[in-house]
Amino acid sequence: MSKNGISRRDFLKVGGAAGAALAGASPLGNLARVAAQTDATVNVLTVGDPWDLALQSVVDQFTEATGIGVNIESLGYTALQARLINAFLTQSADADVIAVDQMWISQYADNGWIRSLDDFIAMDSDAHFDDFLPECLYSLSTWRNHVWTLPIASYAQGIMYRTDLFEAAGLDPLPASVADAGDWTWEDYFGILEQINGMDLDGTSMYGTTVIGAQPVPVVHMFTGLSASYGARWFTQFPEAPWDFTPTINSEPNLAALHDWNRLYGWSPPESINYLWFDAGTRYSQGDIGMFYHWTPYFYLVNNEGYLTGTPSPVVDKTATAVLPTRTAGGDQVVSLGGWSLGMPSTSANQDAAWQFIKWATGAEAQKAMGEVNVKGYQFADFSRQSNYDDAGLNEIYPFLGTQLEMMKLGDGKVARPPAPIYTSLEGVYGLQINQAMSGAVSPEQALETTEILFQNILSGNQMIPYGVASFDDTLDNTKALQASLSGM
Amino acid sequence: MRFRKRLPYLLLAPSILILLALILYPLGFALRNSFWFWNLQTSPAPLYHSGLDNYRMVFQVTPFAEALKNTLLLAGLGTFAQFWFGMGIALLLYTHLRGMGLFRALLIMPTTLAPVVAGFLFRYLLEPKGGLLPWLLEGVGFPVPPQGFLGNAGTALFSIGVVDTWQWTPFFAIVLYAGLLSISEEVLEAALVDGASRWRLFWSISLPLLRPIAAFLVMIRFMQLFNSFDLVYVLTSGGPGTSSRTLSFNLYREGLVSYNIGLTAAMTWLVVIIVSVIINLYLFFIYRKREW
Amino acid sequence: MRAPTTRQKIIIYALMALVMIFFVGPILWFILLAFRHPSDAYNLPPEIIFQPDLGNFITTFVEPGNNAIQLVNSLIVSTGATLLSLPFALAAAYALSRFAMRGKEFIMNWYISLLIAPPIVFVIPYFILMSWIGWAGSYQAMILTLQTLAIPFSVWLLKSFMDEVPIDLEEAAWVDGANRFAAFFRIIIPLALPGIIVTSMFTFVFSWNNVLFPLVLSKQSTTTLPVGTISFFASTGIYWGYLASTAVVAMLPPMIIFLLLGRYVVRGLTFGAVKG
Repeated sequence: MSKNGISRRDFLKVGGAAGAALAGASPLGNLARVAAQTDATVNVLTVGDPWDLALQSVVDQFTEATGIGVNIESLGYTALQARLINAFLTQSADADVIAVDQMWISQYADNGWIRSLDDFIAMDSDAHFDDFLPECLYSLSTWRNHVWTLPIASYAQGIMYRTDLFEAAGLDPLPASVADAGDWTWEDYFGILEQINGMDLDGTSMYGTTVIGAQPVPVVHMFTGLSASYGARWFTQFPEAPWDFTPTINSEPNLAALHDWNRLYGWSPPESINYLWFDAGTRYSQGDIGMFYHWTPYFYLVNNEGYLTGTPSPVVDKTATAVLPTRTAGGDQVVSLGGWSLGMPSTSANQDAAWQFIKWATGAEAQKAMGEVNVKGYQFADFSRQSNYDDAGLNEIYPFLGTQLEMMKLGDGKVARPPAPIYTSLEGVYGLQINQAMSGAVSPEQALETTEILFQNILSGNQMIPYGVASFDDTLDNTKALQASLSGM
Repeated sequence: MRFRKRLPYLLLAPSILILLALILYPLGFALRNSFWFWNLQTSPAPLYHSGLDNYRMVFQVTPFAEALKNTLLLAGLGTFAQFWFGMGIALLLYTHLRGMGLFRALLIMPTTLAPVVAGFLFRYLLEPKGGLLPWLLEGVGFPVPPQGFLGNAGTALFSIGVVDTWQWTPFFAIVLYAGLLSISEEVLEAALVDGASRWRLFWSISLPLLRPIAAFLVMIRFMQLFNSFDLVYVLTSGGPGTSSRTLSFNLYREGLVSYNIGLTAAMTWLVVIIVSVIINLYLFFIYRKREW
Repeated sequence: MRAPTTRQKIIIYALMALVMIFFVGPILWFILLAFRHPSDAYNLPPEIIFQPDLGNFITTFVEPGNNAIQLVNSLIVSTGATLLSLPFALAAAYALSRFAMRGKEFIMNWYISLLIAPPIVFVIPYFILMSWIGWAGSYQAMILTLQTLAIPFSVWLLKSFMDEVPIDLEEAAWVDGANRFAAFFRIIIPLALPGIIVTSMFTFVFSWNNVLFPLVLSKQSTTTLPVGTISFFASTGIYWGYLASTAVVAMLPPMIIFLLLGRYVVRGLTFGAVKG
């Protein structure tokens, strides 16, 4: 904390390099000791998302197989973030495995707080690293050409709609596959909403859709789903090298997206301006929403009236899933891809056992077991591995897996919500402005103009414009190449 | 008797030392870091001396002015409402009718709740779809905003104030009632003999005698309300837009979500300075006459 | 004083009834929520009579009962914070009550002025501090940091109670040969006992209800019940049933304390500030 003499630019470079240096440290010596450490216990710090429940339900299988005990502590999102950052800061992380939000990877890696898993993966063919969908690795786990975590729950976005309502309205079912999508565009989507909004279905007055409007995080999650599909980008150049973080928020596609987002809100319940993720899901499962797009976990979550209530929702047999439309017929598509992965704090003294756990929990077998857990309904289909999507048994439980896989393959978590350093600060002001535009407090034009100015201020205030640290050409192809090389291919 | 002279200071010392350590440490930590560039999202340690950049950033990138306005409104109106409602209830209790003891015992209940629990309680009651209050109010024809009270920019901050008032009015009522009790009966009897009406009695005798305790209560509650975070977090998260953003919520966003330590430190000091100025002005005007 | 007429009585009782509905009604409604099946939380028109369902309490406190340990933790932390604050506050209050000294008013105000800083800014420095001394996640960390709220209030309250204990009694004890120390324990402590009880009550309840410090300074095995309540306000939904069941249990100790000891509160809450 007292390194006063170094110029800012030098120091930023040092900061960026620290992560890379740590990544290179070889864990070979550790691997040799695995056998001797079978009586170890791993401390796992996770977040209270649906996958956590599934994981906890099957974790005994890991202990049976390896003899390694597992001690899982599950926290809320804010509490987890606070615990992790504070623990890293004071070098007192007591966890061996941690759940990592995709947005934390760059920070944790650059600060040297978690260690790269490259060598573990390369040394351990049991990891079946080539089975992971490269889009999931790219969006959740890689940074500067290293693998830092392995995905445990991947979320894409997709559409849920009411089949009974579509039938009553004389509408064709929506495309469940990109191959059938033809020229399925957002304008078509809005047209359907225009038609079904206000319709009466068995005595219920229907809303066309519901947005997720709470600022700042939820609204950014859902709005960027639309705007990324429209071709909007946050920065002049990222993640391709050389990085240029000059904001491009106030752009034609983004403005069009925000205008259309406001249209979506017009077909939504007024209170959805304050909705969090689950509010929208619960609202849909209560039966007065015709169609909406959301993160893919809601493909199965809407089957219950509320999370863990154990009561099937009234829409359970009347709902279907569909692929997202594009802005222009047959045009390019970018789907938001997010989720959670497991990483290893660099302070963990128990790295071999930690690796065994990460490998197991993100492995095809454990993921399948998690998908088969039935506690008050099936609660996990957020697979990141091709083999899970090919699994007949899982497809029977979760008939939408085909649609979900297609959305994953169009997924790009580094464009829709770029995990650049200081992302959370940017998200904070962005979400606020979108929310303001929804409430009518400012116009969409003003909202994006303000956002761009604030982005500029925040980015230059944090030495991101101009960017003094080395860039990395962070493309999906580079992740695929890394995946191939670590898989020994 | 040097020991006797030092004794009071020796007795005060332990509490002062522990408080200095516990409170001045964070404030000192903040003061130092407010002049450093330190964002945990980009580096694990302070990077360089940044002069007043952090203070400038507070105004450039956070909704500081809106939050200050909301905070002042919330703290000012909330304290005002709590004092006068509390006074009204204290006067009801002071009638000493049968059953008032039971009322008094039950009345304090809201104050004993954790603020987060009070928040959850009203979040449940105010839920736009299925909440009891909107349903009741609509039943009697009271206009309920379509987004719900917590989702409407015009009513979100007001709703937070109502919940806080719900929680703390009983506290005011009990304390003011205790204050009324301790006013000597003879003073009041004498005034009554002089033919003062009950209202005159209240305005010109009871209220002035309650002034010291009222001043103290109002100051404490104002500071607490000015810094309150739990209710905002649970009820509205500062939304919609910035309509219920408070300074504490801004601090939470920058400190515990964005982890910009330098910026948060600067904001901390701005907030501390603002509250200190308000409290000192208040003390100056209240205690100008040095009554105690 | 004149007795109120019947008409006045009716008005007073009517007003008091409104006051009670407004202040107590919401709590009762929330308590009912804890006994409802989660899927009935939003049924309208509301069911006032229904078959109570203990499922929420069983899940949170019995099987698997993750919140039971938090109840114990809350008791440990709140009792610890109360006990730790008393000696500090008693000594300071005694000094302020019994000695003439320069700057007394300044010192009194200094204690209260410490409440000016928003508690939210303390949590990061405290976490760093606690990690340095190896107390991260411990009970001590929470007990110690809660003193920032406990001591200033306690000093004020205790001083006002000690002011009410006549100095003559103490002086009489000195004449009998007791030193200050002995007189303090023989005279002041027993006579100010109601005040000490009230002060302890408040410290206990404020500590019990504090969320910010345990949220960051605890770990799963030491965290407190209100923090457990917040965990049901999650990214996957608000689990009203579980949330209400833990919140209702979290309400109970402060409520019971105030119901049992409420009569001391009225005596104690003038902060010594009224001179009739």
